[in-house]
Amino acid sequence: MTAQLRAELLKQRSTRTNLGLLSAMLGLILLVVLLHGVALPAKEFGRRSDQLTELFGRGEMFGALFAALLGAMSITGEFRHGTIRPTFLATPRRGRVVAAKVWASMLIGSAFGLIAQAVAAGVGSAALAARGVEIRLDGGDYALLLAGAAAAAALWAAVGVGLGAAVRNQVPTVVGICVWLLLIEGLFVGDVGLGGIGRFTPGALGKAASGQDPLLAPGLAVVLLALYAAAAVAAGWATTTRRDVA
Amino acid sequence: MSATDVAATTTEPPPRDPVVRISSLTKRYGGVVAVEDLTFSLDPGTVTGFLGPNGAGKTTTLRLLLGLAEPTAGEALVFGRRYRELEDPARRVGAVLESNDFHPGRSGRDHLRALALAADISRGRVEEVLELVELARPAGRRVGTYSLGMRQRLGLAGALLGDPGLLILDEPANGLDPAGVHWLRAFLRRLADKGGTVLISSHVLAEVAQMVDQVVIIDRGRLLVIVRLDELTGRGETLEDTYLELTAREAS
Repeated sequence: MTAQLRAELLKQRSTRTNLGLLSAMLGLILLVVLLHGVALPAKEFGRRSDQLTELFGRGEMFGALFAALLGAMSITGEFRHGTIRPTFLATPRRGRVVAAKVWASMLIGSAFGLIAQAVAAGVGSAALAARGVEIRLDGGDYALLLAGAAAAAALWAAVGVGLGAAVRNQVPTVVGICVWLLLIEGLFVGDVGLGGIGRFTPGALGKAASGQDPLLAPGLAVVLLALYAAAAVAAGWATTTRRDVA
Repeated sequence: MSATDVAATTTEPPPRDPVVRISSLTKRYGGVVAVEDLTFSLDPGTVTGFLGPNGAGKTTTLRLLLGLAEPTAGEALVFGRRYRELEDPARRVGAVLESNDFHPGRSGRDHLRALALAADISRGRVEEVLELVELARPAGRRVGTYSLGMRQRLGLAGALLGDPGLLILDEPANGLDPAGVHWLRAFLRRLADKGGTVLISSHVLAEVAQMVDQVVIIDRGRLLVIVRLDELTGRGETLEDTYLELTAREAS
């Protein structure tokens, strides 16, 4: 298992895929946080909760999104390029390969979450300070944002590996993750709320994990998100160990 | 033990377990039969050509043998076990199924190092196999820049990492230049002389004829013949005649 984990970490750092994902993530965060921070009227940031969800929390969301993509690509990329064959020849007990990908992606994914949130917090604070808007977050809020973003991104990376292992095809997996997080959760669930249910969708749980939902404790949100991750990994594990490889 | 028993044991060849044993192997995809009731085995120290028309079931058989696909019925064993149950598969079996199973953005060396890490094989061995297939110089380059022949050799290097006793190659000479084919032939011969076993699938009969001791010919998933090449030449037949006759009869 350690052997497979080391192999997976080498695979992840020996292509430019993750660097590309990191650059795209940082670009989007800069764009979105700056746009919101500079363009929205100051009264939109009057309350602490507005500052959290409208500005600072964007880091967590993009961290989770790109960690999920990183996890998904770690396995769909192997099917796309055919490296899954040598991988499974070297480690025919495929469950070990899935487990190694989950741990490697969670490790790198959590770093993505941390970086995303740090950048969002830094840029958001700078934007508000530049406009003379009082920042209503305290040190505890920042710490929770960072810890929650790292945890959410790690768990979303596991979701990505699980989905990728179950679907195998890269484009539908990546598109599916983007559509779910950005479109379905971002536009519909987030605003409509779906009563109390919207709070328990996996994207919303990531927000709650970083302290953005006053009605859901961050610790509980992490546990619930971990259940989603476990379900996705179980689905991916079952598919990978049973289905033939072309 | 009596004198006659001793005589009996010395005249009989020592019993050797087959390295590859395929028995009643069947694989169906929905209603389509890819491999049907296929049975043959390979002894150590032999180089075997695995022949058959396109779609005969060669690649499917190799995938079943290597645990990438599960048989519908029957079994395919290497060293007496299912591939997935081998303790240290990379040190027992080396295989190349496709000529381009690489991430184009990863260097040849990193590709091998990742495989070596997964199989607990040293970094020094990676450099050794790179030297062996003459890829040491371009090893730091991204595989996307490699020619087909270089990719073939990189795939072979991956199969050789664990210094395995059984080598399974699907169309290995495809894209190799004449010097590369010559090198491959000599390499496989040395491996077999040391007691290693080789199974090569190919379409190019002339190439196979120079590399192998025996051929297994299949069509439509069924075994047509398993025969030693010197047996064929002893009967005054060529591999091509035998192959064409058998596959034509099957087709009619």
